[in-house]
Amino acid sequence: MSQVDWIVLIVTLLVIISYGLYKSRTTHNLDGYFLSNRSMPWGLILLSIMGTQASAITFLSAPGQAYTDGMRFVQYYFGIPLAMIVICIFFIPIFSRMKVYTAYEYLEQRFDGKTRTLTSMLFFLQRGLSTGISVFAPSIILSSLLHWNIYWTNLFMGGLLIIYTMTGGARAVAYTQQLQLIIIFTGMFLAGYMVVKMLPAGVSFSDALDVGGKLKRMNVITTGYDAKKGFDWSDQYNIWSGVIGGFFLALSYFGTDQSQVGRYLTGKSARDSRMGLLMNGIVKVPMQFFILLIGVLVFTFYQFNKAPLFFNDVQVQKIQQSAYKDSFAIVNTQYDGVQTLKKEALTRYLAVKNKGAETEVNVALDSMRSLQTQSEQLRNRVKGWLKSKIPGGDSNDTNYIFLRFVVDYLPAGLVGLLIAIIFLASWGSIAAAINSLASCTMIDLHRRFTKNKDSNETEYRLSKWYTMGWGIFCIIVAMFTYNIGNSLIEAVNILGSLFYGVILGVFLVAFLFKHIKSGTVVFWAAILAELLVLGVFILTKLDKPVLKMGFLWLNPIGVFGVIFFALILNRLLPQKKNPAVAAGF
Amino acid sequence: MHTPDNDKAPLFRSWTGWYLLLIIFLAILIFLFYLLTKKYA
Repeated sequence: MSQVDWIVLIVTLLVIISYGLYKSRTTHNLDGYFLSNRSMPWGLILLSIMGTQASAITFLSAPGQAYTDGMRFVQYYFGIPLAMIVICIFFIPIFSRMKVYTAYEYLEQRFDGKTRTLTSMLFFLQRGLSTGISVFAPSIILSSLLHWNIYWTNLFMGGLLIIYTMTGGARAVAYTQQLQLIIIFTGMFLAGYMVVKMLPAGVSFSDALDVGGKLKRMNVITTGYDAKKGFDWSDQYNIWSGVIGGFFLALSYFGTDQSQVGRYLTGKSARDSRMGLLMNGIVKVPMQFFILLIGVLVFTFYQFNKAPLFFNDVQVQKIQQSAYKDSFAIVNTQYDGVQTLKKEALTRYLAVKNKGAETEVNVALDSMRSLQTQSEQLRNRVKGWLKSKIPGGDSNDTNYIFLRFVVDYLPAGLVGLLIAIIFLASWGSIAAAINSLASCTMIDLHRRFTKNKDSNETEYRLSKWYTMGWGIFCIIVAMFTYNIGNSLIEAVNILGSLFYGVILGVFLVAFLFKHIKSGTVVFWAAILAELLVLGVFILTKLDKPVLKMGFLWLNPIGVFGVIFFALILNRLLPQKKNPAVAAGF
Repeated sequence: MHTPDNDKAPLFRSWTGWYLLLIIFLAILIFLFYLLTKKYA
């Protein structure tokens, strides 16, 4: 990185920390610290919800995903607008009426203490670990690309935000997220503009999309259906898994994960909370579409410029130090040759496509596609070595593609800004996560199990320490993740789907099945459903998988598992009336 | 989130209007994406 990049990076980060501290003034009680005294307008809630969901990986991985697999990843977000509606109808009125601090408080009033404890523990497990990975994932990418020390990178990625999150609580988190998103969108827009500007003379934006489309990168809508094989359940991203699986995942995440619930509980009215959520339903899909589109543009850019055979240099060095060193050199030369031929075919295609000469167009297209297949086969060979032949190899370079492009091709200053964006996006989601983990620790554990009620000041002070404690915990998880290996990142990406469905199932039983009143019934239904989800997941992960299924489907399985077992157990177990249900919760 | 009086939907008579808007918006978006997929396939 150049000196200018360093200055841009450091100034941007300092501005965010200072702004967070400036906005830290709040009343010294839990309402002020965790809920900003319920005073936030919907615009700020919207940005806070978006800033919490969009982590660094969102901005790094999505363009890489479009580069390798096309635009179809956008379908993953189709369930969000529908989930926002359901949350506005069922969740907001109840949370609003009960004036809860955490989502899990409601479950004690509706069922019993052990159901509340179970769901909050699942939240601690899932959110605590995944936040640690949210620290590690961007750190390992930056550390590999820029040769930074991973431990220091983890410390800066997860440590600096603790300063303002601990001091200002939810208010500081929301205000910094607002500023972070403005900077992030500006940086991403500039990056997109630069890719188009750097395309060869005569290649327009429309041509870039056309080339991307012809090489299967504009596959925005896919059905997962094959005329010969039928519906492919193992296909991760298609319109059905996106709408159905994505709906349940979004409903669980936005409705029952405290890191999101804690954002819209800060609303100054139920109206503001609803508007924040509904506007998120409107802007999220187009936002992801444009981030993915940058990936397609980067893909087209690399059709005219030399693309690395593998985008993660650290892994390339591992191959070069292994027995596959010579094979890699041969494949690399072949890859360069294919790229040169592909560039010629592309230029030919663009020259003839507007002349209406169908035969010539088809010849050029066939040539382009055949060369694209060849280059993918060569990349797959390298991935194969990393996957099964090189100890500690990581065969997935998706997260490295966009940042590698940034570092290699963007001008000084913009590189620093885009690296800053990685930090800011991480901070936005990590700050919200540790704030929510601290609020659950205080409300769902400390307050419940402390015999004498602490004063407001003591609770406020302790909450700050809990925030710091969770921040340190997440950094420790990040440090250990490095020791365990890269494959854990993939495992933790699906961690949410292992638990979210069950937590959502408990909430849906509470909202929709008023005749189920026993906490014991729901508690055991949740345990059985969790075992079912874990069982199904294990069956998909065996060496010879018994089941082939995308991870998004685990969410509906968890939801319907809880409902099914609750209905069965409710018939089998003796009933005890819960006074909270009689009171109308 | 203080009182239910503070929960009136802006622009529409009720929240149902907003919910329908969101569903129609999503349907239009999916349709446009479908056209885009077809155009560049």
